[in-house]
Amino acid sequence: MMTPDTPGPSVSPQPQYVPGQAPPRVIPDAELVWTDEEAAQIETFRAQYPTPDGAVMKTLWLAQRKWGWLPPETMHLVADTLGVPYAKVYGVATFYTQYFKEEKGTFVFDVCTCFSCQVCGGYDMLHYLEDKLGVVKGGTSEDGLFTVQEAECLGACGSAPMLQVTNGPYVHNLTEAKIDQLVDALRQGAELPFESVTLPQDGDEMGGNRRTDAQAVETYQTPPVSDTIH
Amino acid sequence: MADADTLLTGQSKAGDWRSFERVILPPVRDLHKIDVYEAEADGYKALKDVVRDGKFDPKGLTDEVKASGLRGRGGAGFSTGLKWSFMPPVDPDKPRYLCCNGDESEPGTFKDRQIFEYNPHLMIEGIMLAGYAMTIKTCYLYIRGEYDDYIQHVQRAVNEAYDRGYIGKNILGTDFSMDLVVHAGAGAYICGEETSLMNSLEGRRAYPRIKPPFPAQVGVFGMPTTINNVETLADVPLVVNRGADWFAGIGPEKHPGPVLYGISGHVNRPGVYEYPTGMLISDLLEVAGGARGGKRIKAVVPGGSSTPPLTWAMAEPTTMDAETLREAGSSMGTGGLCFLDEDTDMVSFTRRIAHFYHHESCGQCTPCREGTGWLEKCLARIDEGNGHTRDLDLLLEVCDQMEGRTVCALADAAAWPVRWGIKRFRDEFEAKCRPTAFASGALGGDGATEQTGELTPTGVPTT
Repeated sequence: MMTPDTPGPSVSPQPQYVPGQAPPRVIPDAELVWTDEEAAQIETFRAQYPTPDGAVMKTLWLAQRKWGWLPPETMHLVADTLGVPYAKVYGVATFYTQYFKEEKGTFVFDVCTCFSCQVCGGYDMLHYLEDKLGVVKGGTSEDGLFTVQEAECLGACGSAPMLQVTNGPYVHNLTEAKIDQLVDALRQGAELPFESVTLPQDGDEMGGNRRTDAQAVETYQTPPVSDTIH
Repeated sequence: MADADTLLTGQSKAGDWRSFERVILPPVRDLHKIDVYEAEADGYKALKDVVRDGKFDPKGLTDEVKASGLRGRGGAGFSTGLKWSFMPPVDPDKPRYLCCNGDESEPGTFKDRQIFEYNPHLMIEGIMLAGYAMTIKTCYLYIRGEYDDYIQHVQRAVNEAYDRGYIGKNILGTDFSMDLVVHAGAGAYICGEETSLMNSLEGRRAYPRIKPPFPAQVGVFGMPTTINNVETLADVPLVVNRGADWFAGIGPEKHPGPVLYGISGHVNRPGVYEYPTGMLISDLLEVAGGARGGKRIKAVVPGGSSTPPLTWAMAEPTTMDAETLREAGSSMGTGGLCFLDEDTDMVSFTRRIAHFYHHESCGQCTPCREGTGWLEKCLARIDEGNGHTRDLDLLLEVCDQMEGRTVCALADAAAWPVRWGIKRFRDEFEAKCRPTAFASGALGGDGATEQTGELTPTGVPTT
């Protein structure tokens, strides 16, 4: 039986860190530069805060979007760009779970299993994804496309169970069929639509979703996905 | 049992809630667009009235909010007007900041997300009004990093408001100027705590700070700061437009106003509902379509994971306002209700909450860093059938060592659901524990012997 604290073995090989030696570089020096546009963005970030430290989180996000994850050399780049000690940047990057300190698959599935999702079958969805992709949570599939992770509450309890794709779009009201569709769509390179969960009161008073520029999703009125908890 | 002093009367305190018209999320199509917001929802009328036409001066606006009885919607339920009045007098050399707390990481809570998605301009207008009331030049709007799509929605709305001159320099041609910066978090529950939110804004690890000094004296970047929840600030334009008396007249006297209830769990129609405060929990279950599959509801978590769970017998006569819920033995929290039906395993449920707090403890204070881990380990042991009845008392003891001994309230938030889960559902916990070995004569896991039936510290029989 899976338990929440079972560590998942990582499928993709991680660089070996030897104490006393600099870790192997992942990104060559030539690629470790900001484009002019990014440099301008970082200047905007700096202007938004009275101290350069304030811009660290936004610059780390920028780096992660650019390189997909945050190997140490990108943290050094962020520190040098902002004139902030590396230790501070490292401290911030390692504190927050959404900054990836390890290489992940192209798509990262953060499956919410916190209690509202748990009681609606969040673990069933997580295990279904694990079985489907042949990975244990925390690991990456062999083709390097998908990483499956267990996430803490993602703030979509009304449309539980749900998952988030690579710190981006939410996919609500998961079922096994919906996961199948999602994986197929991502394999084919499809853009995920923004799913707007219809407020139940909007459904009654306005006959559906109030946003005309989003893909409406009903909060489901079907029987629960699962009665089991783990 | 209903004596004169009890608030648990089983009567709704929400008045005529069935005909309540939604005001935070009024039924207007495409309200997130600024044109629609201006044309169909009196958009930015409150800001124009106050800032340009002088309906209130800053102190008058603070007094109006105080008179409305608006209490923070982020969990603590502190009076918003009173909080604003704690800001020190304006010192031209010292910048002051407003932080709008959109971290919303409490499991079971998803109300602010609906404001970001459906009515962001109401929140922006409230932020500007709050900034005017406290003479603030910069507001940081902190949104949790997981809400990436919603951050983009809000950023678009902020840009629109900048273009129309509702934010920026010389707002509406007056000498009031204010900037609004959207700051994205990166996945840390603790950032919802106000002092760790400030540390996060400063680009540090989000460790909570010791209070005092309170944020109104020494806040973000060392300057006077006020921190309000998204929904709290979204209520401010409503107070200005409709008056403090209107607001104070909705729901119970001590905790008035419209509120967003996020309903999740085993109900037919989960989602965010807007109703007055003081709704009966059983009425909320009814509007959410009742329990799934016609089952019986066993337990209710009334306001997010940190609020103690209530048995249905306790929840039935209870209304959703701070005073009544306190009497019932829980708290209002963020108004995120989770209904659990009769098939729910409360041990697994409590274990998952403990896992959450173990994961999210920032690690600054020992009682919390270690305690949350022990709670989870112990509950996992019981959940897997390897626990002993004495573990339940051990858990309660660990809770004793956590509550009130840390910088912030995360340790309390972690301990309460465990403590009250065990107290209120003890039979379920005991049923999962290994039975004591009194009858068989063998040395049981409890360390009790057949001869004495007494526990020894080491679990070794005394004979």
